[in-house]
Amino acid sequence: MPLELLSNIRGAGPSPDVGKLFDIIKDALPGNDSADQEVISGDICVHLESLRDDEVIESSSVEKEIIKENFPERKNDYLVVSRVIEEV
Amino acid sequence: MDSEILKIHEAYRKGSLNCSGLIASRIGELEKSNHNSVNYMLSDLAMEMAAEADDRIKSGKELRPLEGIPFGIKDVYMLQGTSSSGSSGILKNYKAPYTATAIVKLLDAGAIPVARENCDCFGHGSSNENSYFGPARNALDKNLVPGGSSGGSAVNVARGFTTFSIGGDTGGSIRQPSGYNKVYGLKPTYGRISRFGLMAYASSTDCVGPISRSLEDIRLLINIMSGKDSRDQTTFKSDAIPDEIFRNDPDLKKIRIGYYRNFIESDNLDENIRNDFIRLIGILKEQGNAVEELEFYDDTILVSAYYVLAMAETASNLARLDGSVYGERVAGESIRDQYALTRSENLTEETRKRIVGGNQVLAHGYAEDIYQKARYLRKMITDSFNRDFRNVGIILSPVTPNTPPLLGSSLKNPMVMYLSDAYTVGFSLGGLPALTAPLGTDTGVQITAEKNGEERILKFAKYLKEIL
Repeated sequence: MPLELLSNIRGAGPSPDVGKLFDIIKDALPGNDSADQEVISGDICVHLESLRDDEVIESSSVEKEIIKENFPERKNDYLVVSRVIEEV
Repeated sequence: MDSEILKIHEAYRKGSLNCSGLIASRIGELEKSNHNSVNYMLSDLAMEMAAEADDRIKSGKELRPLEGIPFGIKDVYMLQGTSSSGSSGILKNYKAPYTATAIVKLLDAGAIPVARENCDCFGHGSSNENSYFGPARNALDKNLVPGGSSGGSAVNVARGFTTFSIGGDTGGSIRQPSGYNKVYGLKPTYGRISRFGLMAYASSTDCVGPISRSLEDIRLLINIMSGKDSRDQTTFKSDAIPDEIFRNDPDLKKIRIGYYRNFIESDNLDENIRNDFIRLIGILKEQGNAVEELEFYDDTILVSAYYVLAMAETASNLARLDGSVYGERVAGESIRDQYALTRSENLTEETRKRIVGGNQVLAHGYAEDIYQKARYLRKMITDSFNRDFRNVGIILSPVTPNTPPLLGSSLKNPMVMYLSDAYTVGFSLGGLPALTAPLGTDTGVQITAEKNGEERILKFAKYLKEIL
């Protein structure tokens, strides 16, 4: 998929500065061995047994009011969304 | 007494200072300042809270740990009902519906927020020039950048406008501006302080941390903000750091110190910073500390691995900014048009570049060749730290390779800006705690310990301050 579509940014394309960073990584590890390596680190992951149960937390009335206030467009007390065109 | 917080409290108790007067004076200084360090003033809220603090002080009630202390908040934290833009155009009119956990803890301790501080947009930058609000200016020389991304926060602390500020550090965003403005700045161990309510940049390295002119205040603030939070499941329970750590301890001379030889020999390092750092190592040896030269990854590899991972994470985190439910919206013919127009017109060039770079490394073909390799490098970097900390108690390094550049020069050469994070990003990838102390070199010294080693870092910083 083109970068423009992946990023939802018009005219998006590879940047030469960022390309230099990518080249350094490629050169640092020239083979493909690392692609198959186990790299998940316990240091930055949360173990399944440590996860809390799902919980529904009711937002306060102030929070609900601000969420509505933040909505980009309102008309006659309705929150207006953009038109969705189904693409086949 | 080193603590500015305790000095203010003493003045409150004696009656030589009142909170409303102090807050009004800090607000006045911020409003007069031309450092462009603030995105939104919180004057009304602050004055209201100051009046409440004065009532509490007059009534003789015990002061809460941060009662009546003015502080600044980097403009990436939620504070209910206040404008919270992340220094971006897309969220310039966005109001935070709730308050970040770390900020709630500070407010509960009595601290008073006076300003939302300028920073690089969503943390994307190391010079504070990538801001919808324009660049902040260095506290010591207005022609220079303040560093970033928490540039405004470091400037406000250095100028004395805030007693402390809360920055955010993903790859050096607290430590580098603290170095450029000569103040203390701590990036705690990843997970020590909840990230709930912090606008996510790269979630696997994002950290909340304090900036202050006092080491003792860093200790107080860390104790208040730390702790497990069910809304950030990467958090862990930690012990409070006692104030006795700042008493003289002869065992500090026995701490074995490491430094990375290749950092000091790097061609990218400024000659004065190199010489000052070598001098600092010499002083420690004279004190009796054993010093070990360590080997580490090349600074360009560290920077590249960090940016690949951070860009991939920010591309995912910022996908939510599409004008659908909040933020600026540019309407289009279809919802896909709306997404593209909104993001193209409302995100800064550097932010667009990082999102596109992130999507690029996650795409088929690049993921195996670049993203997975960067992840593997991160694992090797972490293993290297684990090995090093079996032999040494503290690792010292310069904070930055160079002194702060002139405003405008980083924009012309982004690679130079990325490389200004060369000595901080590795410790971020390892999730280690690291402190910038304004000592030893022109941009300070970075003190790092193993995970959860904040107590040792603070103790060592006090020791350094005394011997230098």
